[in-house]
Amino acid sequence: MSEAINSRILGLGHFVPERVVTNADMTRLMDTSDEWIRQRTGIEERHFITQDGGPSDLALPAAEEALRAAGIKASQLDLILLATLSPDVDFPASAAFLQRRLGVSGMPAMDVRNQCSGFLYMLATADAFIRTGGARYVLAVGAEVHSTGIDLSTLGREVAVIFGDGAGAAVLGPEPDPRRGILSTHLHSEGKYAEKLMVEVPNSRSRPRVTADMLSGPGSRLWPRMEGRYVFKHAVTRFPEVIHEALAANGYTVSDLDLLIPHQANLRISQLVAMGLELPEEKVFNNIQRYGNTTAASIPIALHEAQLAGRVKPGSLVCLAAFGAGFTWASALIRW
Amino acid sequence: MSAVLGCGRYLPPRVVTSEELGSELGLGGTAVAERSGVMRRHYAEPGIGPSDLGREAALAALGAARLGPGDVDLIIFATMTPDIAFPGSACFLQDKLGCDTVGALDLRAQCAGFLFALAAADRFVRADRAGRVLVVGAEIHSTALDHSPRGAAATPYFGDGAGAVVLGATTEPGVLATVLHGDPAGAERFWCEFPASRHYPTRMELEHLEAGGHFYVVDAEAVHPQAERALAEVAREALDRAGVAPGAVALFLAHYLDHRVARRALESGLGVGRDRVVATAEGAGHIAAAGIPIALADAVAAGRVGRGDLVCCAAFGAGMSWAGAVIRL
Repeated sequence: MSEAINSRILGLGHFVPERVVTNADMTRLMDTSDEWIRQRTGIEERHFITQDGGPSDLALPAAEEALRAAGIKASQLDLILLATLSPDVDFPASAAFLQRRLGVSGMPAMDVRNQCSGFLYMLATADAFIRTGGARYVLAVGAEVHSTGIDLSTLGREVAVIFGDGAGAAVLGPEPDPRRGILSTHLHSEGKYAEKLMVEVPNSRSRPRVTADMLSGPGSRLWPRMEGRYVFKHAVTRFPEVIHEALAANGYTVSDLDLLIPHQANLRISQLVAMGLELPEEKVFNNIQRYGNTTAASIPIALHEAQLAGRVKPGSLVCLAAFGAGFTWASALIRW
Repeated sequence: MSAVLGCGRYLPPRVVTSEELGSELGLGGTAVAERSGVMRRHYAEPGIGPSDLGREAALAALGAARLGPGDVDLIIFATMTPDIAFPGSACFLQDKLGCDTVGALDLRAQCAGFLFALAAADRFVRADRAGRVLVVGAEIHSTALDHSPRGAAATPYFGDGAGAVVLGATTEPGVLATVLHGDPAGAERFWCEFPASRHYPTRMELEHLEAGGHFYVVDAEAVHPQAERALAEVAREALDRAGVAPGAVALFLAHYLDHRVARRALESGLGVGRDRVVATAEGAGHIAAAGIPIALADAVAAGRVGRGDLVCCAAFGAGMSWAGAVIRL
């Protein structure tokens, strides 16, 4: 009894701050090495902001590019979504600040807070609104400023070397052809592992929820804590599971896939997943080498770069998949 | 089509009166009650998170729907005071309820968050992406408030609590209309700045803490007129969208920081009689994303509304964001 009309990504854009931070730069801040970072994560460089600026500021140029590509004006948007785990301020949502930067008002603006799976949770939400006529044009931006929330000393090195700042945007709209657009979305969670990758503060469970004690480094609880071993182990199981789920839901198998874009968490995870699925290298897109893990922004940045590189073309069957903190994991299958 | 299959609410047991709060805030006599219009609010005990309050409300909603956690296909959690910075509170709730590994979506639209979540849930059901969605609004404001005299403007208004609704696919429409809006122009009139990722090079430092930058700022006098206007407008818009005349509505739920403004918006702005309006913040303070589902569950429990009755909700809050919904129970 679905009332559905498909939704489709009409335009993409991305933006990263100008400053490139290489692994060599990181070695000047902490005891680490280019070899260690590359070997464990595949990351060679990332981008960091150099002055005050939130995810909504990075989101603006990405959104403008996506709107141009879609041929849509900001004033035509029916819904503004922003996925982030590093919001501009505590509240309101960063989507509201993006709305202001876009110079529009009236339409709703809300944040999706689903960490590394944030872009796909947001895509599923946008898709549900468009499929049922609840919105015609939706802006969905994943944007993160990690660099102001990581411990750039040796104590924080395991986490700090992974993350980068950036934003990726998609404009979605209705697609009359039922064979094109977003074919299905699949969302999952397992909160049992919520504290395996988290930022604890502000902590609503303790009064007051932020104290000087919590902030004072080293070991500030504003910084992410990660048990990398758990994350890695679950990621390499959940990624293939949710990719198969998306393919099976549409009667496809891995061999039908033209391109897999995994959330850029760690190149080694992506490689293991591709190997397990027996996907050849040309059918998987990775760019973590140049951006690090930009959590909610990684998939739209990668999707846009893949499109620019001609690896996503009309007719391509594309699977987007993510796994991350929560744990949450998700996928979307798209006929481009 | 989607409809409300059950609703539930939970308030933590500890009651804080306006007199008690007055002594912390340096406000004597009836100042706290006068400022907020609230006599009492509930505060959660240390160690309790929004997902804990949400769990109790969710179990009540599931019970009312004669369903269990295993019947839920998707959790949508609206809050402005998540358990921790990340991951989202929906993930904690998924574990605490023992749901399957279903989607756990965390939305942020502040005080209007529940209606944003309800609208999203309705869309997921109608798109056939989920059969049953657990929609939870839960807040623990008490740990985020300034309990010194500096907090005198904002702290009196807020309380802790949770409300939940189970939304399911039906042949008869229950959620008749949802309308959502945003206008960021005055965002800093009702906000909380820190931690702020946009602050370079570190998102929060001791000086911000000392200055109270992590506490709520509410310029109530500046926000009230906008809220009053928007609440009446959005209720009317939702009713028009649903094709329902105001006279056919059994109960209006008016949700805003100050319940007197919320009530006036519907009574004066829409011409609704006093007995058909519940101003959500009146009983236990403003509970942001939880106020609407708590009021709905209370109205159902009290027999004020029942199956087949029309309920019109209007909410306004930080962002600014505001929303309306018309539901046939």
